[in-house]
Amino acid sequence: MWRRRKINLYLRFGSFLGQAGLARLKYPRKPSMPLPSKAFQRWLHGVAPNASTADVCRISGIKRTTLAQQLVRGKVAESTLVSISRGYHVNPVQALATFDLYADLRGDPVPPTPDELVSQIATMDLLRAVVERSEPGSVSVTGLSPTPHPTAVRNWVDAIDDGELRHRVSEATGIAPQNFSAHLTANRLPPELAIATSRAAGVGPAGGLVAGGLITEAEAGWSPNGRQEALDLMTLGELVTLAGERLQALGKTLRRQEQDHERTERIWENLG
Amino acid sequence: MTAVLPWATLLVCLAITIARIPSLLRGENRVVFYIFALITLDILLSIEGPYLAIDALLGGVNVTNLILRFLLYGTFLLMGIKIAMGFASTSAERAIRGPWGLTVLGITVALTTFFFVITDTRGSTAGMTGLTWGPSMEAYAALGRFYPGYVSACLLPAIWRTIVGRYPALLRAASALLFIGLALLLVSQLFPLIPLVHLWLRSLINYSAVLATAIGLAGIWFSKAFARRKARRTA
Repeated sequence: MWRRRKINLYLRFGSFLGQAGLARLKYPRKPSMPLPSKAFQRWLHGVAPNASTADVCRISGIKRTTLAQQLVRGKVAESTLVSISRGYHVNPVQALATFDLYADLRGDPVPPTPDELVSQIATMDLLRAVVERSEPGSVSVTGLSPTPHPTAVRNWVDAIDDGELRHRVSEATGIAPQNFSAHLTANRLPPELAIATSRAAGVGPAGGLVAGGLITEAEAGWSPNGRQEALDLMTLGELVTLAGERLQALGKTLRRQEQDHERTERIWENLG
Repeated sequence: MTAVLPWATLLVCLAITIARIPSLLRGENRVVFYIFALITLDILLSIEGPYLAIDALLGGVNVTNLILRFLLYGTFLLMGIKIAMGFASTSAERAIRGPWGLTVLGITVALTTFFFVITDTRGSTAGMTGLTWGPSMEAYAALGRFYPGYVSACLLPAIWRTIVGRYPALLRAASALLFIGLALLLVSQLFPLIPLVHLWLRSLINYSAVLATAIGLAGIWFSKAFARRKARRTA
């Protein structure tokens, strides 16, 4: 609990120059290391030996300038690799696993925990489930919306957090706690950080990639009904409690956005 | 360069003032137009040519400089109130237009007039740089820097909070410019420490302060227009 409060304080005051400067000293920023372009080109040659760059871009729907830029810089984004894999019907997880940085992904997929599965269900789907169970037939059941949902990253981390997870991720990756929190708030999870987080939590390596939206649950090797089954296994009490927590968090976020909006409008009203 | 800077500043302020005319006619935030118009007038009166021409009409005893001081105080009073209200700083608003703030302004005006009267100000020169500078002149000049510095000091914390807070990027950038401009006015309190041979440094700081403040204020306006346009396009 105290840790949660501390992180909230970080979030609120984290952008203060002094504290950010302090964090930079404590956690020197490591350069983000996406896929090295040499290794990427070797992989691409294996997947599409005779394809030209133009073909690759057309089939995978990537802009040519984007790919060219990433190759020239020597670093290719994971999302580029995933798009190309999909274009050539290669499993993106297996494609990522060929790179040393993603060696964790090699081998058979580790099934997600029930908590992880439920964390990847959108809040509105949870609410629908609550209503449907309490008053059957009163809502049209449409099935769960596809991953990722708007707070997927934070919910996933909360689902695998034993209370010390954020601390361990900071130690392992050198990312400052408030920067990690900023990712959660923005519902962003860089693939490298996703892998590091699941490793620190001791869960399957692909869960964070699903929560971050890089790959789908099917690509991660999750069973197609996994999330629904995990949801059905929850008691009504558990479900309502979880939905309540989600609603509370959502309310907080909305209130904060509304306050930010009001403050901005006030400045514009007076000086615009 | 020091010869170009005043005119460039005047041009920028004039352009912004003219750009505000449509909003003025629509009745949107008239005070912002008055602020820009006042800044433009302040700059005009601090440039040698216009200053000498106007002062000649007023008797050639540098009364124009006194008027410029009063206009400056008015500019900062208006600007201070508007910025404090916009940036939601009740303490700054109180410190500027509350009883304490108005007392500070009143004393500044009274002392400014007093020191002007007891000084021999014959011989029109812009910035009164051509006169012999005694203690009363120094006090007069210091008072002219004091009030803008006072208002700036009241506003800086609230503006800083906006720079580091969760606001649209353009608004934060504009606030940062405004912050730089007002911070320079605080720096200008140290002018007596600058040797007289480096007078150019004083005018560099002064005009940079005005430029940054004016562009920052206009930037806030621009960020609003930009956000509105983007919202309309996505709607």
